Amino acid sequence: MSYFILQILPYVTGAVFTIGILYRLGRWARARIVHNITLSPFPKTNTEVATVFGTEVIFFRSLFKSDFALWIGAWFMHIALFSIIGGHVMGIYFLGKQFVYIGMSEGLSEFMSNLLGTTFGIIMFIALLYLLYRRFAIQKVREVTVTSDYLHLILLISIVAVGNIMRLIPDWGIHYEPVKEYVTYLVTLQPVPAEAEVLHTPLFAVHLLLVQILLMVFPFSKLMHVLGMFAERWIINRKYTEPAPGLPNIDIPAARAAGLGLPSEGGVE
Amino acid sequence: MPTYKDMVQPVRATDADMKKIHIDPVPDDQKCEKAIEYLDLMRKKFRSFVLAMESCVKCGACAENCHTYLGTKDPRNIPANRAELVRKIYKRYFTLEGRWLGKLVGAEDISLDVLEEWYSYFYQCSECRRCAMACPFGIDTCEVTMAVRQILHWLGIVPKLHAGVGAAMEKVGNHTGLPKPGIVDTLEFLSEEIMDEFGVEVNFPVDKPDSDILYVPSSADYLLNPYTLMGAGMYFTYIGANWTIPSTVSEAGNFGLLFDQMFTQRHNVTRLLDAAQNLGIKKIVWGECGHGWRAAKMYIPSLADRPVPWPITHIHDEVAYHVRTNQLKLDPNKVGHPTTLHDPCNYSRACDLQENLRTVIKACVADFREMYPNKERTFCCGGGSAILFDDPEMYQRRIQLSAKKAELVRATGVGANGDGYLCAPCSICKAQLYPMVEEHELGVEVKGLIDLVGKALVWK
Ligand code: HEM
Ligand code: SF4
Ligand code: SF4
Repeated sequence: MSYFILQILPYVTGAVFTIGILYRLGRWARARIVHNITLSPFPKTNTEVATVFGTEVIFFRSLFKSDFALWIGAWFMHIALFSIIGGHVMGIYFLGKQFVYIGMSEGLSEFMSNLLGTTFGIIMFIALLYLLYRRFAIQKVREVTVTSDYLHLILLISIVAVGNIMRLIPDWGIHYEPVKEYVTYLVTLQPVPAEAEVLHTPLFAVHLLLVQILLMVFPFSKLMHVLGMFAERWIINRKYTEPAPGLPNIDIPAARAAGLGLPSEGGVE
Repeated sequence: MPTYKDMVQPVRATDADMKKIHIDPVPDDQKCEKAIEYLDLMRKKFRSFVLAMESCVKCGACAENCHTYLGTKDPRNIPANRAELVRKIYKRYFTLEGRWLGKLVGAEDISLDVLEEWYSYFYQCSECRRCAMACPFGIDTCEVTMAVRQILHWLGIVPKLHAGVGAAMEKVGNHTGLPKPGIVDTLEFLSEEIMDEFGVEVNFPVDKPDSDILYVPSSADYLLNPYTLMGAGMYFTYIGANWTIPSTVSEAGNFGLLFDQMFTQRHNVTRLLDAAQNLGIKKIVWGECGHGWRAAKMYIPSLADRPVPWPITHIHDEVAYHVRTNQLKLDPNKVGHPTTLHDPCNYSRACDLQENLRTVIKACVADFREMYPNKERTFCCGGGSAILFDDPEMYQRRIQLSAKKAELVRATGVGANGDGYLCAPCSICKAQLYPMVEEHELGVEVKGLIDLVGKALVWK
């Protein structure tokens, strides 16, 4: 089982994820931006457009203004998520020594890597629980939810829960080194040796299996909002240049001097 | 008749009405099949529609930003759920997950009941775009409404009101069905009114060749909002403009935007361009009409079937420009009423007119009070996209749909003494608010913005 999850499935996942996303993007690209539906106030320059994109992506600006409670849950969840994705890449590649490059000692760097990983793991877990809670508790959210919305959140919560357990109970966890070796085998298309530690760490296999399920679901689900946001804002946050005001052949002082509109006896007929 | 399984529905156009707008309604036994065919067309054409179908995370942030949900508490009036009425069909027929997993991902087979749901709920959406502003991704449910209304139109399901307006526009060139002699008579009458009330001489030239400016008024201004048209005439006279009103497009509105963008809207654009060419004008100036201005400003570039050599601006843009450059003498004390401003959705979320509205109103009114939230964050009057239905059930709905706006108006306090003005510079907003300020007992009178300009102008 571990062998299937670790050795075969990753390639399937990779293929489904990539082809799936290309397929979805292709569907979007085929339809066109037919009319100008820029949302006002219109950005007047490309810098303003970039600012809109930037603040939406980094701060979730619209959400902040429209639903603050959700913003708290969603923003912290996403920040934790990005940090964790970044942390996985860096931690595994540099074996936890990535902070040496900003002047820390090796020991401190590994400590920081672990501390940050654990902290964001817990933040994300709490934030996800809150997102799940509001799906049950807030009427308007319950009313827009279908089964798959709950399942997505439960899947994510499981991934994070397993990850956190591996961190908090070191005996059940795994170090960076064996994972790096494993990733190297995968990337260089070599078989993973039967004695490799990853094959004998059950929670690692579970964690990886759940992540792969998420990645395979990704292109066929609302998780595409990641790219959808850019595609949608590309339509509704565009630069617009106003036509010049001013009417042809108008000379207001002359019109007033001529007494236009004033009844004949009062005007300069 | 206008309820169907607990859903309110506007009175429907008859087959004969539909024929006048060039549609032969699809028989019931083919409706479902055709609906899928048309849905396929829409999704292949409009990316804004596809993205609304494919990237909503169902977070619910849009719910309390939509006045229809706030006013009715009907879950299907939550923007995400309104879109879901078509998304469930879209998923079932056009996505892998919907085909394989069905109900689990919320997919559903098409049925006549679904079409009835569409008709009910997509004619409660006022296409106000407040949901697009609120959504973390900017998903614009207005685009979904437009796509579904197009499909319903092709199937032969259109409110009698919209179909009638479409037919009148094609026949005489305005929504009220007023022929040229009627227009000329009315305008002469308005000239006399202006003389009596303001003591100034204003003529309304109709179809005058070699004019510089083509002014396109809303046809509601002839009968329902005469002061708006009077104000425009006074302004053009005051600045000494060589202007004219075209009898063939005596209408700023374009209901095509609201139910049929493919033919009706495009056809109206063609009509305008013909008029402009025949009269040899230099610039087109638009009257007070929210959806009509959106249709003109944002859609003519993509709907015109030929190059458009004439710049098109809104009369509020022009007045604001003259106010900013100090060319008009306006006396704000002439309008002696506490006044607040309702930002029409189409101006403030689709056309970027909100600042110019303020430039003008502040120059014309001494006691101006902002209504919060204002500008692009304000709520719709509840009549947007001309859901101004008069049958009893829909009229009750309209009262609910305007509840949020009523709350905002009340909070400004302008109506406290019963002599407030609610400036609503859009014909549909006016038509909605005239009865609604009475229903909600707001103590205000509804006015246009150019009305106030006309009143505040100092002539001597
Ligand atoms: C770019 C700006 C983004 C915004 C504004 C945004 C916003 C949101 C919102 C509002 C939710 C809904 C929370 C809920 O109620 O369930 C959500 C869920 C989620 N987002 Fe994002 N997101 C963004 C980018 C991303 C990115 C880049 C990723 C992943 C790499 C991501 C992954 C997720 C996941 C996994 C969920 C949980 C889905 C679920 O509820 O089932 N998001 N996002
Ligand atoms: S705010 Fe946007 S993403 Fe959230 S439920 Fe509404 S439409 Fe969907
Ligand atoms: S466009 Fe306006 S009325 Fe329609 S769903 Fe969005 S917020 Fe509601």
